[in-house]
Amino acid sequence: MAGFSDVIGWARSQVASRVPKADLDQRDPDYIRDQLPGTWLLASLYFRSDVRGLHRIPAEGPVLLVGNHSGGNVPPDTFVFTLAFCSYFGVERPFYQLAHNLVVSAPPLHFLRKFGTVAANPENARLALESGAALLVYPGGDYEVFRPSWERHKVDFGGRMGYVRLARETGVPIVPVASVGGQETALFLDRGQWLAKLLMVDKLLRLKSVPISLALPWGLNIGDLAGHIPLPAKIVIEVQEPIDVDGDDLAVHDKVVASLQAGVDRLAAERRFPVIG
Amino acid sequence: MRVERQCVINADRDAVWKVVGDPDCYPRFMTNLERWENASERPAGVEARYTVHWKIGSVPVGGLVEVVEFVESRDLAWVGITGVNLRGRIRLRDAGEGRTRVTFRLSYQAPGGILAYIADRVAVRQVGRTLADTLKRLKALVEQ
Repeated sequence: MAGFSDVIGWARSQVASRVPKADLDQRDPDYIRDQLPGTWLLASLYFRSDVRGLHRIPAEGPVLLVGNHSGGNVPPDTFVFTLAFCSYFGVERPFYQLAHNLVVSAPPLHFLRKFGTVAANPENARLALESGAALLVYPGGDYEVFRPSWERHKVDFGGRMGYVRLARETGVPIVPVASVGGQETALFLDRGQWLAKLLMVDKLLRLKSVPISLALPWGLNIGDLAGHIPLPAKIVIEVQEPIDVDGDDLAVHDKVVASLQAGVDRLAAERRFPVIG
Repeated sequence: MRVERQCVINADRDAVWKVVGDPDCYPRFMTNLERWENASERPAGVEARYTVHWKIGSVPVGGLVEVVEFVESRDLAWVGITGVNLRGRIRLRDAGEGRTRVTFRLSYQAPGGILAYIADRVAVRQVGRTLADTLKRLKALVEQ
C-alpha cells in the first residue's frame, strides 16, 4: 500500500508543478480592452445580463469581492462581472480573479491569465491585495458551483471561510457580490463527491467534485472537464454594501453569507421563469 | 458610429445653457446615466474631467471624459480619455423667437476588430433612444 501512496504523491506533485506561479504582470489591460466588445455582446444579447450596484465598490484601493458561484466549469457570472468591473472602473484598475488550479494550468485557457486570473491559493490572493488590486474570490469554489440546479438560489460556501482571515490580515473590506441565473445554464444533478473519492481525483487534482449534469452538447455530462455550452439563462448580479472585518471569523462569515443570501433571494423573487428570467 | 438627435426647446439659448453649461446638472436629465462624477475638481469649462457611464446593454459603458470645447450658449463638447473611443457634443442654435434648437451628438467606437464593429451596430439603437429621451427630459427641465 506504501507503493500506492507513493504513486498518488508523485501524481500530485506532477499536477502541482504544472500550476503556474502567480505573475500579476501577466494581466494585460490592452488585451482586456480589446475583448470587451465581444464579451459585451455575449453578456448583453445571449445572457441578457444586468449588473447593479457597482458604485458600492470603493473607488480605489484593494478590495476583496466575495461572490456566490454558479454555472459549473463555464460560469457566466465570472465573465459578466469581470466585464462590468472593467467597464465601470476602466481596464487600468488592477483586478484579479482566483480560479481553480486546473483552470489556470489548462493550455486552452491560458488567455485567462491576461484577464488577471491566478491560481486560487492564499499566497496569490495576498500578493494581489498587497499590490493594491481588487480581487474576486468564490469561496464556495467547486463545491458550490456544482450544486444541484434545484438548490440554485442557495448560497453555500461549504464551510470555507479563509477569505475572512485574508481580508483581516491584508486590512481590506469585503464586498459581497450576489448573482442568480448561472445554475440554470445546465441541469446540474449531483456534485459527485462520491465519484471524486472513488476516482481519487480529490487527492490527485484537488477536485472535490466530479459533477453529473445534463448539458449541451453532451447530454449526460460527467465531470464537465471539457465544459459545456451554457443555456442562455438571464444573469443578474448585485454588488452589495462593503462589510468591515471587525468581528471574529465566524461572525464576519455569517454576515457575508447572510448578505449574499438576502441578495440572491431578492433577485430570485424577480425571476418568473428559469432560464428566461 | 455617430448618433445624433435634435429637439426644439421653447426657451432662449441662455436659459438652455444654464442647464447644459453646468455638467453637474447632467444626472438630472441624462437618460440611462449610471455615473457622472467630477474627476478633476475644476469648474465647468475646457479641461474639466468627468467620469461618465451610461447603462448600454448589460453593463455601464463610458469612462473618463474631458471637456474640449466650452463656448457659452453655443457648444459644449467632450472626448473620452479611457474606455470606448467617445466624442460628445451638445449644440445650441437659435430656432426663431425665444426658441432654441438643441443637437445632441455622440460618436463612439469600441476597441477591437469585427466584434467591436458588431457591438457598435447592436448598441446604436439603444444609444439613439438614450439621446432622444435625454433631449425630451432636457426640454421638460428647461421649460418647467
